[in-house]
Amino acid sequence: MSVLEIDSVTKRFGGLLAVNDVSFEVDRGEIVGLIGPNGSGKSTVFNCIMSIYDVTEGSITFDGTDITDHRTHEVVNSGVSRVSQESNPIESMPVGGNIQLFTLPNSIVSFGGGASDAEIYEYAARVDIEDKLEEMPDELPHADIRRLEIAKALATEPELLLLDEPFAGMNQAEITELAATFERFRENGMTIVIVDHNMGGLMELVDRAVVLNNGDKLMEGTPTQVTEDPRVQKAYLGTAEEA
Amino acid sequence: MSSATDRLSTVTGRLDQSLQPLADGFNRLFGDYVGELNGLQFVLVFGSLAAVLTAPFWGTFGLVRAMTVAAIWAIFAMSWDIQSGYTGYISFGHSVLSGAAAYTTAMLIHNVDPGLSMAVTIPVSILAALVVGLLIALPSLRLSGPYFSLITFVAVLIFYRLIPSFSAYTGGETGIQSVEVFTYDPIARYYYMIVPMLVVAVALTFIARSNIGLILVSIRENEAAVNAAGIDATKFKIFSFALSSIPMGIGGVLLVHFTGGVDPTTFIAVDRSIEMIAMAVLGGMSSILGPLGGAFFLIVLRDYILTDLANLSSPARWTIFWALVLAVLVFVRDGLFRKLWHGLERYGRGRT
Ligand SMILES: Nc1ncnc2c1ncn2[C@@H]1O[C@H](COP(=O)(O)OP(=O)(O)OP(=O)(O)O)[C@@H](O)[C@H]1O
Ligand SMILES: [Mg+2]
Repeated sequence: MSVLEIDSVTKRFGGLLAVNDVSFEVDRGEIVGLIGPNGSGKSTVFNCIMSIYDVTEGSITFDGTDITDHRTHEVVNSGVSRVSQESNPIESMPVGGNIQLFTLPNSIVSFGGGASDAEIYEYAARVDIEDKLEEMPDELPHADIRRLEIAKALATEPELLLLDEPFAGMNQAEITELAATFERFRENGMTIVIVDHNMGGLMELVDRAVVLNNGDKLMEGTPTQVTEDPRVQKAYLGTAEEA
Repeated sequence: MSSATDRLSTVTGRLDQSLQPLADGFNRLFGDYVGELNGLQFVLVFGSLAAVLTAPFWGTFGLVRAMTVAAIWAIFAMSWDIQSGYTGYISFGHSVLSGAAAYTTAMLIHNVDPGLSMAVTIPVSILAALVVGLLIALPSLRLSGPYFSLITFVAVLIFYRLIPSFSAYTGGETGIQSVEVFTYDPIARYYYMIVPMLVVAVALTFIARSNIGLILVSIRENEAAVNAAGIDATKFKIFSFALSSIPMGIGGVLLVHFTGGVDPTTFIAVDRSIEMIAMAVLGGMSSILGPLGGAFFLIVLRDYILTDLANLSSPARWTIFWALVLAVLVFVRDGLFRKLWHGLERYGRGRT
């Protein structure tokens, strides 16, 4: 049963067609890759799901509910969380405070509430930064900042996790470890969509991949089908990718 | 030099330790609600509180009068802070809110019934401040960036010009001067202002230290992250403005019953809005108690030290007032009282 349905989504920025009539579905418990060269529209699809952008045409359904016109916080509260391509922690708050914000209730009369210290520790522990709760974001190495972004997303208790280039800037050991972490998320019942412009490492992790090129959906299929498809090879040819 | 500060912090550290049991008692009872104090901070807070509560018994007439005015402005500065200081959406028009409350009181008495009881005019006036606050906040806070500030700025200019246009009801440039004062006894009058101020200070400090305060600061630091956390940033921005409007209304009512009347210059002019900001900035934005300290500091300086003690002319007093604000902006950007607070934290820990 599909938990996320992207139905003929088009997004224009003025004259620029960033996403052109793209449709795909994600089943519960799947890990799906959303891949394509730089500028192919991957982050824009995520931004449309999160209602950061309004879609120009098309609709987005999550868990049977049309969330196309929901506002960002409503999308999050219905069970979708996204880790952006750019990290943007609040620099004046420690790691623990940054995670805590993501557990607070959306209520103007809720003076207390939110996660306990033990729960915040748990979210941090799921991505191995539980020893850094007191540290400020600018003291963290790049890989830990990325992990903090994932911990923040986890703290909203998502059913569907959207990861935008989670491996960017990490070394091979860090990538392997993080991929194993995502496997564990899936074993605990989470559905995941991972964006990457790099086809290489992702293919062992994903069940299926959807390929975008210049805003168009090129194809979708199993990792083997995708890597062997001549259209995909052509799209990646000449871009600086080592597919 | 460093050995001097070392020695100082040994002394203050020991002092802090001897005061710690007092602070611990406070922390056990209230720490969860308003934050924990060390010994020195405890003395600052409760020493100031004791000084404020007993001022009529040791202060001169001039000083107590200045502190009476300061109490009202402290309410304005704290109210501005919970909205502008915390969310970073800077309002240049907060005098519209206090003005709305003060004018409601005066216009009810002037136009409706001179015998109206304060039990009627006070709640209606505070409600008027809230309504005006929502009228400004609802359209403007849906927008991001500088539009909000510009709208508040224009709102105060419009309000200021509207008053003379309806002079039959508003009394025009000279205003309405037939409002009853609370009391002519300067000591009783002082407590009429100080008690509401303390209530506002405690209430806003509690809110600022709760989840709500954390969300408001997060809006200032990173509004996108707040939405991504599943929290409706727009709702909280509007809420903070409403939350600010209520004590602004209280302050406006206190001011009208202090002066015994309203006029556009004393109550509405954009200068008044900027003065509230100056007090909050001087004390330390987004700390509630900092703006309270800033208001007392600036008003006691302007209305007592520079007036009664130094006998300076009004232009000279205002020049010193603004020069001081400028100096704080340039050299102590976090504000004087925040600096003091963190200083006490450092020296309190001492070296063992
Ligand atoms: N806010 C915006 N305004 C105008 N154009 C935009 C905006 N956001 C994205 N675009 C354009 O839309 C196209 C798709 O961008 P998008 O960020 O979705 O690509 P991507 O696949 O995520 O690329 P990358 O791998 O570099 O992250 C690009 O041409 C980009 O310049
Ligand atoms: Mg992208």
